[in-house]
Amino acid sequence: MKRLVLLAVLALSARAELPFIENDYRKAAAEAKAKNVPLFVEAWAPW
Amino acid sequence: MKAFVYSDKSLGRYVGRFVWLSINTEAPESAEFLKRYPIPALPTLLVLDAPRSNVVLRYVGGANITQLRQMLDDAEQRVRSRAEASADQSLAAGDGLAADGQHAAAVKAYESAIASAPRRWRRLGRTTESLLFSLSMLPDKEGCATRAMALYPRVKGTVSSANVAAIGLSCAVSLDKEHKQRRKLLDALETATQEVFANKNIVLSDDDRSGLYIALIEARDAAGDEEGTIALQAQWASFLEGAAQRATTAEQRTVYDSHRVSAYLDLGTPEKAIPMLEQSERDFPDDYNPPARLALIYNAMKDYDKALAASDRALARVYGPRKLSVLSVRSDIYKGKGDLKAARDTIVEAIEYAKALPEGQRSATRIAAFEKRLAGLQEPQ
Repeated sequence: MKRLVLLAVLALSARAELPFIENDYRKAAAEAKAKNVPLFVEAWAPW
Repeated sequence: MKAFVYSDKSLGRYVGRFVWLSINTEAPESAEFLKRYPIPALPTLLVLDAPRSNVVLRYVGGANITQLRQMLDDAEQRVRSRAEASADQSLAAGDGLAADGQHAAAVKAYESAIASAPRRWRRLGRTTESLLFSLSMLPDKEGCATRAMALYPRVKGTVSSANVAAIGLSCAVSLDKEHKQRRKLLDALETATQEVFANKNIVLSDDDRSGLYIALIEARDAAGDEEGTIALQAQWASFLEGAAQRATTAEQRTVYDSHRVSAYLDLGTPEKAIPMLEQSERDFPDDYNPPARLALIYNAMKDYDKALAASDRALARVYGPRKLSVLSVRSDIYKGKGDLKAARDTIVEAIEYAKALPEGQRSATRIAAFEKRLAGLQEPQ
């Protein structure tokens, strides 16, 4: 069981899912400012 | 892009280097963003320099993984150069203000340099030291000590940590004894200074190390630890003796004279300073410092005649504001001798000389201090 969980975690990190914040510009800007890193934005639409 | 590009494992190393925002232009809560950054075509990729909220990179269209990585690298580089340019500019402004004696304004400039600096900025150490120095020139000693404590971890392990810890510690020492934070600040900054002191990887000049000794001795003294103070003073004196012995020229050796005089006076062994000062006087016959220091030493030994003779030799060579210190010691020597009139006359001479100094060297505080001393030297009625 433990092994399975570990494998799942490894699989997740290998995919390197980028931790996108959804639509909340203020939250993202504040976080970027606090961490002193740039803010990457992808603007898209579900068309 | 979501389905393919963003899940590529080669992006793993970028995860913590950016904050990632996905704006669905149809979502009502996206309006605030769109008002600020109009998006005419989709998809649009932007990289914003968060603290200044300006756009450093913009790209319309879908990108493949190679393009995306290239854009992330470029954006990061641009943010870094802008941050560095802005920090450099503030640092230069701070230096100019500090050189002009405007320390409160210099502090603001140095703080803004630190705030806008990119990560691992190579001028952070120097900026922090300059900030601390300007803070120490302001009356708010708590502000100075608190800031030193907060910034110490950021320069820890570097040469700059020596000044940051020692200046902060001196500020904590000069806090009012009743001050609530005094104990806490003293403890933390003394620990930091000891840490710098013990770190073999930090290469300090003997002169700087001596400065750390002074700060640590002040701290022990402030803690009321008489035994610890004396032990450290003795260690300091023998360190200085070693440094003087390592010196290869007379000029290098005399660098330590002034600190050694302080150490021997503190330890109550002024006589130990005599051989080195006599040597220095022989090596540098035009220098007023050796006889001026001998006058101080003989005065401490209550050998007033020798003290006066040394003071005569110092007066014959001294010039500028330093003459005031020589006269000050000379007045003490007369006072010790019991010649109050000569002690007073010497102070009168010092006041006249102090007032005649050109602007830039004349000090109102100094004149006031002498006048106070003169008042204290009046004959008992």
